[in-house]
Amino acid sequence: MTTDRRLEIKGISKRYGETVALQNLSFDVRAGELFGFVGRNGAGKTTAMRIVLGVLTPDAGEVRWDGVPLDFAARRRIGYMPEERGLYPKMRLAEQLAYLGELHGMSGSEARVSALRWLNRFGLKDRANDDVQALSLGNQQRIQLAAALVFGPDVLVLDEPFAGLDPLAVDVMSAVLREQADAGLPVVFSSHELELVERLCDRVGIIDRGKMVAIGTVAELRAGGHERLWIDAPGAPAGWDSGVDGARLMQTDGSRLLFELDPGVDNQALLHAALATGPVLEFSRVEPSLGEIFRTVVEESAA
Amino acid sequence: MSPSLPAGGASPWRRNVFLVARREILIRLRSRVFAGSTVVMVVLVAGGILAASYFQVGTPSQPAAVRVGFSGGAQTLEQSFRSTAAALGETVTVTDVADPGTGRSQVEAGTLDMAVSGTATAPVAVAGESLPSLAEIALDAAAQDARLAAAGLTPSAITSVRAVVPVERVQPTGSRKPFDQGAAAGLVVGILLFMALGMYGNFVSQGVVEEKATRMMEILLATVRPVELLAGKVIGIGLVATLQLGLVAAAALSAGSISHTVSIPALGVVEVGSYLIWFELGFLLYASAYATVAALVSRQEEVAGATAPISILLGVSYLLMYFALARPTSPLTTVLSFLPPTAPTLMSVRIAEGSAEPWQVALAMALTLATIAGVVWLAGRVYANSAMRIGARVRFMDAFRG
Repeated sequence: MTTDRRLEIKGISKRYGETVALQNLSFDVRAGELFGFVGRNGAGKTTAMRIVLGVLTPDAGEVRWDGVPLDFAARRRIGYMPEERGLYPKMRLAEQLAYLGELHGMSGSEARVSALRWLNRFGLKDRANDDVQALSLGNQQRIQLAAALVFGPDVLVLDEPFAGLDPLAVDVMSAVLREQADAGLPVVFSSHELELVERLCDRVGIIDRGKMVAIGTVAELRAGGHERLWIDAPGAPAGWDSGVDGARLMQTDGSRLLFELDPGVDNQALLHAALATGPVLEFSRVEPSLGEIFRTVVEESAA
Repeated sequence: MSPSLPAGGASPWRRNVFLVARREILIRLRSRVFAGSTVVMVVLVAGGILAASYFQVGTPSQPAAVRVGFSGGAQTLEQSFRSTAAALGETVTVTDVADPGTGRSQVEAGTLDMAVSGTATAPVAVAGESLPSLAEIALDAAAQDARLAAAGLTPSAITSVRAVVPVERVQPTGSRKPFDQGAAAGLVVGILLFMALGMYGNFVSQGVVEEKATRMMEILLATVRPVELLAGKVIGIGLVATLQLGLVAAAALSAGSISHTVSIPALGVVEVGSYLIWFELGFLLYASAYATVAALVSRQEEVAGATAPISILLGVSYLLMYFALARPTSPLTTVLSFLPPTAPTLMSVRIAEGSAEPWQVALAMALTLATIAGVVWLAGRVYANSAMRIGARVRFMDAFRG
């Protein structure tokens, strides 16, 4: 294939009166990758997703897919799970999924078959003729995802798909998203659950106050943070590290000490200082979690 | 994974409108409200027509002939009885009966309405309870003719004695004859139209708010344009309404033809067809008006408040219908039957009474259609501009300007 079927968000901006919701936001979601979109409440994730779906129009910038600016026809190929969950409460599951499938361009019979297939995948085949309102919230959320998938979309855009789900449901949904990405779709979803994003996503974008403040693979983001070391030197007296500039003590765990180093500081200097006090039983690098990265990045952007 | 779909494809608005309409239709047809209200309306209308015919409310189109039997000397009265009855407009069948006893038993058995015996100048009669009074009057007249002849008057003298006083009948201007059948039909049609417009207008209002209230709007807007969603809903609800009223109209026409003793011009096929057309026009007009105001709110609880002005307008047109029934020839009635908000009910009433001329009906329909076009445009614009504004009530001018 000459094009790589990626979703490109290019320089989108949006303001509501005085409030700036998005400022020149740009990122790509490549075919076959799971892209995690994280940020605080009100950072602009939902606004960005609505612009991708064409439900909102940006003040500037454009969204492209497969190299071409998104038009109405192409938007219909996006599977969308909005943050505000919505389904017709008094409509039967299978019928509703098929209806949505048909609205996205499927024929009647294709839609019915696909609806039943997805109900089966989510373990709800027996309840095909129940009304949506008869389902538990967790099940309703599965149906919400099924609604995004029933017509075989080419792109997935999901706003907080894991919110409020129990661990089993999270596993099922994660597996489905991974499958879709492996099948070649660009999949972007937002979430507050950073451990989940860390585990699941290929790349992550951190948005704060309408701007993208960090973007990259999970490994890149974690490595980009400050280096941290656990040192266990049981014989070392207090203050042994004060000679090493740029090393901060973060935590103690018995005789184990966690240090954070400023950029450019050589961790070997700390090792030598520790060895000078006696035996060193542990000297290990710790990579910050995504949660820690997130906090750091957001605090820095506020400064 | 992805079924074989055209990559971009032409705009699917026709299919979208069809799918939305189909969903509305299926859901409403399955509802108990639809079944219940259809049954109630059919029973009321058909039952009313059958009851009217049973109680001989309308003009009898084939009045039953009065069966009179004459025996003995009274048989000489038969000729003058027949002619007098004819002059009075009563259809009679005259037969000879063997004797008074046979006559009485035939009346009791119901094969005769009246049996006359005795002599020409002194007849006696036995009759059933439902004997029309005109038959009695004809008999009296026949007996009087016989006595006048016996008193020596010549037939021409008898005729001049019995000359009827001419009475000229005049209709007091502008008022209504008591219990005019056309007016009765007009009343029923007007009430039905008002009820149907109110009920289906309400369904449209609720339907318009549904996607905002259930948060479906965002999912749908990714693939359906707001105008397509609105059009599908109004068309779907309109088709259900047409089906229901069509069933009622069919019931009315069949009840009318079953009870063929009654013929009411207001229930002719053309007239009933025109009531249906007026319903369609009224529905399009009021549905668009309801949709325009309902589009501004996001929750079902707010619908009644938002749509109050339209409901009031509909209620006023209902009250004006009573005015039109009381003063059918008044100029105000005629003018109101051309104004689009009141035309559907008032024109239907005038058609039922037989006072509407075809050119007037055509003109009123044209005016209504033009108004419908304008309100439909407005509804589409307001709905599209309000579609993603979920939450507080949107101000009309904000939605209009977009």
